[in-house]
Amino acid sequence: MKRVLIAICLAMCAGAAEADDLVAGLSQDIIQITSNYTGTDIVAFGAIENMNVMTAAGPLDIVVAVRGPDADITVRKKERVAGIWLNNHGVVMRAIPSYYYVASTRPLSAIAPEDTLRRYELGLDLVEPDSTTARTPAIAEPYRQALVRHKLIEGLYNENAGGVEFLSPTLFRARVPVPADVPRGQYNVQVYLFRDGNVVSAQSTPLYVDQTGLERRLFNFAHQEPFAYGISTVLMAAALGWLSSLVFRRIT
Amino acid sequence: MEIYLPIAEMSVHWLLLFGVGGAVGFLSGMFGVGGGFLLTPLLIFYGIPSGVAVATTTSHVTASSMSGALAHWRNRAVDLKLGAVMTVSGIVGTGVGVWLFGLLREAGQMELIVSASYVILLGTIGTLMLRESLETLAASRRGEQAPSARAQHHNWIHGLPLKMRFRDSRLYISVIPPVLIGFTVGVLSAIMGIGGGFVLVPALIYLVRVPANIVMGTSLLQIIFVTASSTILHSVSDFTVDIVLAGILISGGVIGAQLGVRMAARMRGEQLRFWLAVLVLAVGARLLYGLLVSPGDPFSTSVDAP
Repeated sequence: MKRVLIAICLAMCAGAAEADDLVAGLSQDIIQITSNYTGTDIVAFGAIENMNVMTAAGPLDIVVAVRGPDADITVRKKERVAGIWLNNHGVVMRAIPSYYYVASTRPLSAIAPEDTLRRYELGLDLVEPDSTTARTPAIAEPYRQALVRHKLIEGLYNENAGGVEFLSPTLFRARVPVPADVPRGQYNVQVYLFRDGNVVSAQSTPLYVDQTGLERRLFNFAHQEPFAYGISTVLMAAALGWLSSLVFRRIT
Repeated sequence: MEIYLPIAEMSVHWLLLFGVGGAVGFLSGMFGVGGGFLLTPLLIFYGIPSGVAVATTTSHVTASSMSGALAHWRNRAVDLKLGAVMTVSGIVGTGVGVWLFGLLREAGQMELIVSASYVILLGTIGTLMLRESLETLAASRRGEQAPSARAQHHNWIHGLPLKMRFRDSRLYISVIPPVLIGFTVGVLSAIMGIGGGFVLVPALIYLVRVPANIVMGTSLLQIIFVTASSTILHSVSDFTVDIVLAGILISGGVIGAQLGVRMAARMRGEQLRFWLAVLVLAVGARLLYGLLVSPGDPFSTSVDAP
């Protein structure tokens, strides 16, 4: 949450200082998960408005970062104890994004120095939890790396250097993949305009991912009336069991 | 072909899961076991979160047991009184099991405890059953009268107090063994997402000496109620039952279970026990392998409940 606030604040400050340097939007600002949802792509697009920025010296770069709702994630490490592999140590990553995608016009390391990237948490190496249960950051680091690795495999974290393309000297767009098993909640899409390794403008747009229709109703049912939900599941099971027995007796 | 699961919060290939449910249901109808000991590991392997896999499997077991039990009921192969005694103790067991499940999940050791208890249970029971069924098979091949599992003299169980008469099973025994067996199966059901048939069937045959033709129907009867209780308790305590996933698995499962019961009617008892023993040992060996061989990636992640 901390970095989102910083980013929003920066965006507003930058916006106040150099009004409408950058405008950005999304192809859709709400993703509705229905029963046949198998993942989708959204497009973040925008334009650089201020011609003073355009004509000033130094290369221009756009970075688009999408962060899912924060979650507490426990990373455990298996170790061999008396010949058996068991979870021996665990580190809780508090408030780490459940989804993270960053696209840029060039490799991030070529756009800005590491200090700057770290401040905005841009890049898979720099995604950090707010805090961990490990005694020192050095102890937590291999656990954080394991988490990033797992998220990459699940398609929930990704980094795409070259994922932002310029359609004209001022117009740009980036495709953001949203896989099938994304967590629900509020996402933030942040667009940064870099010049000479510094953020000159930034804009933040919320994106909502939510279940709708039957899925939504079932989810609410399970959480609001869990006892009735459990009974319903059992009744469904018993009815299907009985029905099959009846049908098969007719057949044979 | 893809369908989104509202509780697991992921989309799955429904036809594949329908087939998995059917295959497990077939085995469950054939052997009179719930099949949860196969389904839970299969779902986890598919990528369903382990909490959802355990809780949802219990409802699949309810359905396939229901289907199987009705078939046995029509063959008059159910001891209602014995079933009732074990059901009551089993439901108490599920309460304890769901509580333990929560503790283990917090400690991060659920996976280990589940695997280790599977290995011990499956290994012991599988070995006992395999030995017994091989002896019977060998004896019948020599043309001898197979020594009946029941025809042995009194064991220590007959020394216990609180005797009760179970007429359908032609037994006059202490109520303590069925109560303990029922309770244990209840605990296992909640922790492992199983019905416990693979514990129940051998325990009833070898310890309580229930006639083999009564065992299947009676154990299925108890399993229906124990797994129903597990499903409800999991729904209430950790919201891990996915009704859409349950529907897919059950639809396949009940069809498979009916076919399995018909298959079982054509096979001989000792052959059935031999193949169940082989299946039980194979699953146990696979889980032991997982505990002993170094994992490809020692790290695992789990999202904490908010």
